[in-house]
Amino acid sequence: MTAATAATARHRTPGAVREVPLSAARLLRVELRRNTMPWVLPLIAALFWFDSYRPSTSAEAIYPLRTFWNMGQGHTIIDFGPFVAGVAAWMGSREGRRGLADLVAVTARPRWVAQFATWAATAIWAVAAYLLFVTVMFAIYARQGVGGTPPWWWGAVGATAVIAFTSAGFAVGVYWRSRFAAPLAAFGGFLAMAMSSQTGFTHYSGWTMVLPTNSNSNFDGNGLADFGIFYRWQPDVPIARIMFLAGIAVAALALTGLPARAGGRWLRRAAVVTTLAGLALAATGVSLASTARPTAHGMIIPALHDAANDAPIPYSPVCGHAAAIQVCLNPAYRHWLPATASALGAILPEVTGLPGAPARAIQVPAAYGNASQAITLRGRPAVLRLSLGQLNLPGPCGFCAGPVRSGLFARELRLLFAHAFVGAGNQPGSQLQQAVQAVLLRGAGIPFAAQPELMASTENFPVPGPASGGKNGPATAPGTATGPVYAAAGRFAALPAAQRHAWLVAHLAALRAGQLTLEDLP
Amino acid sequence: MNVEISEVTRRFGRTEAVTGVTLTTGAGVFGLLGPNGAGKTTLLRMIATVIPPSSGRLRLLGRDPGEYGPRREIRRRLGYLPQNLGYYPGFTVAEFVEYFALLKEMPPGRVPHAVAAAIERVDLGSKARVKMRTLSGGMLRRAGIAQAIVNEPELLLLDEPTAGLDPEQRVTFRALLRDLGQRATVIVSTHLVEDVGAACGEVALMDAGKIVFQGAPAELTARGEGTGAAGDAPLERGYSAVLVAARSATAAAR
Repeated sequence: MTAATAATARHRTPGAVREVPLSAARLLRVELRRNTMPWVLPLIAALFWFDSYRPSTSAEAIYPLRTFWNMGQGHTIIDFGPFVAGVAAWMGSREGRRGLADLVAVTARPRWVAQFATWAATAIWAVAAYLLFVTVMFAIYARQGVGGTPPWWWGAVGATAVIAFTSAGFAVGVYWRSRFAAPLAAFGGFLAMAMSSQTGFTHYSGWTMVLPTNSNSNFDGNGLADFGIFYRWQPDVPIARIMFLAGIAVAALALTGLPARAGGRWLRRAAVVTTLAGLALAATGVSLASTARPTAHGMIIPALHDAANDAPIPYSPVCGHAAAIQVCLNPAYRHWLPATASALGAILPEVTGLPGAPARAIQVPAAYGNASQAITLRGRPAVLRLSLGQLNLPGPCGFCAGPVRSGLFARELRLLFAHAFVGAGNQPGSQLQQAVQAVLLRGAGIPFAAQPELMASTENFPVPGPASGGKNGPATAPGTATGPVYAAAGRFAALPAAQRHAWLVAHLAALRAGQLTLEDLP
Repeated sequence: MNVEISEVTRRFGRTEAVTGVTLTTGAGVFGLLGPNGAGKTTLLRMIATVIPPSSGRLRLLGRDPGEYGPRREIRRRLGYLPQNLGYYPGFTVAEFVEYFALLKEMPPGRVPHAVAAAIERVDLGSKARVKMRTLSGGMLRRAGIAQAIVNEPELLLLDEPTAGLDPEQRVTFRALLRDLGQRATVIVSTHLVEDVGAACGEVALMDAGKIVFQGAPAELTARGEGTGAAGDAPLERGYSAVLVAARSATAAAR
């Protein structure tokens, strides 16, 4: 051996070991520059825009509703998953498709190292694009004045899902070195997403909580919660999902180290151990997710739950006035303060001076999984407690037939107020309570004839009689303003205001207690 | 000796591609001649540690390639150009060569210089930043040679290296071979006898999986004296004469 070859004798030295990260970085740089993923990103960006972002803009401008479609139902993952899996399979099968298997096999580095560099570059492109797209989407939301805080935990779930799709697709490509590996992996990814999405309609608990497109965790199925506004996004289910997806990613990637051609005995042993560890991690995620249960603050997993996450988010309310009482809302709902004050301003004069009339109005969080009584009256002096998170707010409405008109919102708010004021609670109320409610509404500008339809269309309102509405609109046709209730209401409404007021002063407590009947009404 | 092969056989199912080959060689350019299907590529792939022999003993650079650790050491000192060179069309020539330099565990600090030098040696300096997909067949072959020599290998295996090269490039390449052969063992598998005559110090002729001749090119030429047509090159006459003799002997043995 000459001096020249002696100089290049590549015996392993401590210095050579230190050079490994630099070599890996250079290898990664080459792979990043020549990766196929950037070519597919414009297509994903277009899909992301039309499928994840645009539909979300039709939802109310608060994060739990704006992100229900794209993060809660996992559309950002659906937009990325199949494409990422396909491209990863294309990259994984590259060596075989391009006839470089022999050449790579006879290099000193274990073949798995070269494959890992290819996978890493593919994953880096995919995850960077995912995080960029989500961040840009949140930045646009911020410019649009969307209230609350973004669901970053769900962004982390999405990024991990993208890694899992990359790993799984890459493993398909490594094991099946054909040009058909990419479409197969993409179709497999699409199928997995489609099946995972379907569980959101049928499964509300159990192991399916671990699936990244099952929206029944933290994102209430009807978008009625105040996550990121009054209290934090609970990280429990996202953590379980991250464990599950990371486990899949690790196991799939380690599988590529199992074949004899991947490397030496130690690498294959490590691959076996890592595959098992990945599967164990995924199984742990599934196991944890199956113990998830709903609480007032969201879906929690007892083994992961940190009580500190139940603490409310401190905030300085924004306030306005309605008929001389102060109305204060969470700043995330600032946009709806004028509409709320205006709606209440029309009905509050009907009860001014009565015992139990509200001295002020405040906003309270919507309790997770408990969509009832959006408006309550409590305390002495009474405080009107508005849970606006349970209502369809005026403006765009994601899952409604169309935008919610301000007039409809105002009428619904007055109806809910009158219903709370007469003490009907979660029930339709006694006939007398219904009659007084009808008179209060009439005084607030809603004639008797319009009331049955309003009651039938108001979400979560316990409609009396034949018109029994549900969460998503009337279950049956609204009734008509006839019968003994409206007859008594008409009689009571015909009295002078002072006489009505005096009767209410004298009988309000008994009315609320349900101790009076229609015959007691003058 | 850098290559010591003893009674090596390689089977693919029922087919015996290489049968009981014994071969030793040190530094210099060694030519492996033979007709199509003679087993040259299979023998070269075994020496390149792509596939293990079915039986027999193989020692390369004083190490046993059957063991993982020694095999890795051999591979650090190995350059290989397969018969069918694959490539990544989106890579530039420099990236392609750099990619393999890094996989060969070259010290990263030396890689940029080594890549540039290898590309210059195959006369592709002006194409270093050109994508592989735009290269002609001959240029691709040269890029393949560049990746094989980038780590200044002690054992260089070239399978049909001059296929697709024009006459001028072949002359240049033979000079490169002679230069490389001064300090490394270079085994060139080819069916172009003029390459062997011009560059190799020793030659082996394979037929039906066996080595039927091993010696200097001049000896092979001598075997052909008095045979063949007048227009044939002397080395080609020797090549044909040896093959005819080997096949006659085989037929007689049956």
